[in-house]
Amino acid sequence: MEKNLKSLMIPRTFSIENVSALFAEIKDLDTDTPLQIDLKDMEDFDSSGIAFFNYLKKNFPHVSFSNVRPAVQKALDLFAPCGETDGRGHGHRSVGERLTALGGRAFKFEDSLKKFLVLLVDEIYHSFQYLLKRRGVYPGEILNQLYFMAYNSFPIVTLICFLIGITISITSAEQLRSFGADIYLADLVGFGMVRELVPLMTGIILAGKIGASITAEISSMKVLEEVDALKTMGLIPEKFLMVPRLTAITLAVPLLVVLADLVGILGGVIVGWVVSGIPPGVFFREMFTVVELSDFFIGLMKTLVFGWIVVISSGYKGFSVERGAVGVGIATTESVVLSISLIIVSDCVFALFLY
Amino acid sequence: MKEIIKVKNLDVGYGDNVVLENLDFHIDRGEITVILGQSGCGKSTVLKSLIGLLPPFAGDIFFWGEKIDYFSEASLQALYKRIGVLYQNSALLNSLTLYENVALPIIMKHPDLPEEIEREMVYTRLSQVGLLENRDKFPAELSGGMRKRAALARAMVLDPDIIFCDEPSAGLDPITAAELDSLMLNLKELFDITFVVVTHELRSIEAIADKAIVLKDGVLYYFGPYRELFSLGDRYINEFFLKPRGAGSL
Repeated sequence: MEKNLKSLMIPRTFSIENVSALFAEIKDLDTDTPLQIDLKDMEDFDSSGIAFFNYLKKNFPHVSFSNVRPAVQKALDLFAPCGETDGRGHGHRSVGERLTALGGRAFKFEDSLKKFLVLLVDEIYHSFQYLLKRRGVYPGEILNQLYFMAYNSFPIVTLICFLIGITISITSAEQLRSFGADIYLADLVGFGMVRELVPLMTGIILAGKIGASITAEISSMKVLEEVDALKTMGLIPEKFLMVPRLTAITLAVPLLVVLADLVGILGGVIVGWVVSGIPPGVFFREMFTVVELSDFFIGLMKTLVFGWIVVISSGYKGFSVERGAVGVGIATTESVVLSISLIIVSDCVFALFLY
Repeated sequence: MKEIIKVKNLDVGYGDNVVLENLDFHIDRGEITVILGQSGCGKSTVLKSLIGLLPPFAGDIFFWGEKIDYFSEASLQALYKRIGVLYQNSALLNSLTLYENVALPIIMKHPDLPEEIEREMVYTRLSQVGLLENRDKFPAELSGGMRKRAALARAMVLDPDIIFCDEPSAGLDPITAAELDSLMLNLKELFDITFVVVTHELRSIEAIADKAIVLKDGVLYYFGPYRELFSLGDRYINEFFLKPRGAGSL
């Protein structure tokens, strides 16, 4: 069935002030509607007016213009429509087009996953190769990274874990008291901190502090062609930049975990003493009936894995940066999101296998 | 061998887009060859393909008569032993001092070299580019021209046969750019180093070019001696060099 002709009379001054009103008249029309645009009265117009006409030309195949004066025609020619339609037709995308778009996203994801895994395998290879040959890494760089990762991170890691210890103790103490089970606060805090909260919180803090910094540094180096320069010097950037960071995180994590465990439990001891009246000696005696050395090592192993996840994810995002300075910002944000997501997923996997 | 790079039927580009097709040219030893063209014509793309950062879509590149396999790490490593690259942004590592930046290729490739020898090599190169006094400074403490010179010192430190320069004069004032040009000319004269320079700085081209490769509309528009470029009376060439139409000589 043929649609009714819709006529529009363009006002004398067609500018950014009144273009919205006219746009509202055609916004909800079906794109098949025949449009008749009369420019008889139009004397003044600005680029928003031209943009409106271009929009009509691109989205309404049956649009026609009447009474177009030469000056207007010249402007229309000069600012001819460019680019694609605005996507009004997206609602009418065929099933095939939707499947193609979905397939494209799936391929992009597959490509990203492939690159991530390639980097992971490369780094494992480079790390072992470095341990055997001690080559390909700038001298002193591991110590620099260790200083940055361990010394610069321990204040924030210990503070957060101390506060988490206090918070978890306060919220649990009240509940335990109602069952007359105050003493089990020691078990809960000790086991919870050592096995779960310290690894998780340390991993998340490392993602925010170290991961973001690694991505920002590597992506800036890539944008400024420093990574290319390393390549053309005959070096392997993935080794030169990543092995010191992986080695440093491997050395830094045990130090951070010990400190974080101590202060987290200290938070619990303080709350247990002040709120529940459990003397520190009794607290520790009770805690060690549940918490064993193996729990500490499990926590340590988890944190190590989280640390590696942070470094690999950040490196991956750093090396895959595009689009200059904007890309650096995007990559940095994405690296933190990716690291935290992978940490939570792997924590879940650990929970499935270790409990 | 006079001809050290030979390019045959080369197609280059990014992603799926072919930027330049069917390129044929060669680079001779001890000459400065400039790659010219308007912004976006693919000058840097050619350079990146030559140095293996962007594998070509089709065609062959020979260095010293040997075909380069851009997908072979060994082939690339052999190439990187004999070339140096000066990047548009200098690409000095910001966490290292000037000395450490120039010493980087030596430290990484020859870790067993005595420190005294390494120091002499670095000092020589730094003094050739006039930066010995600034050796303990970090790149951020230097001007753009100094960073470029430092990058040139790093590119030269392992005695490459060819140095590739991507827009060496970009962002430099005319005086500093002229200093860099004369440094390249001196290095060419003294050490017989071959330069391949991507640029569109006319004064720089005028000062240094022995040969020219002109790129236009995705193809090689001209390849030959720079001095013969203007005898062609070509309209595009004249427009590019801001010469009056019909001008036939320099």
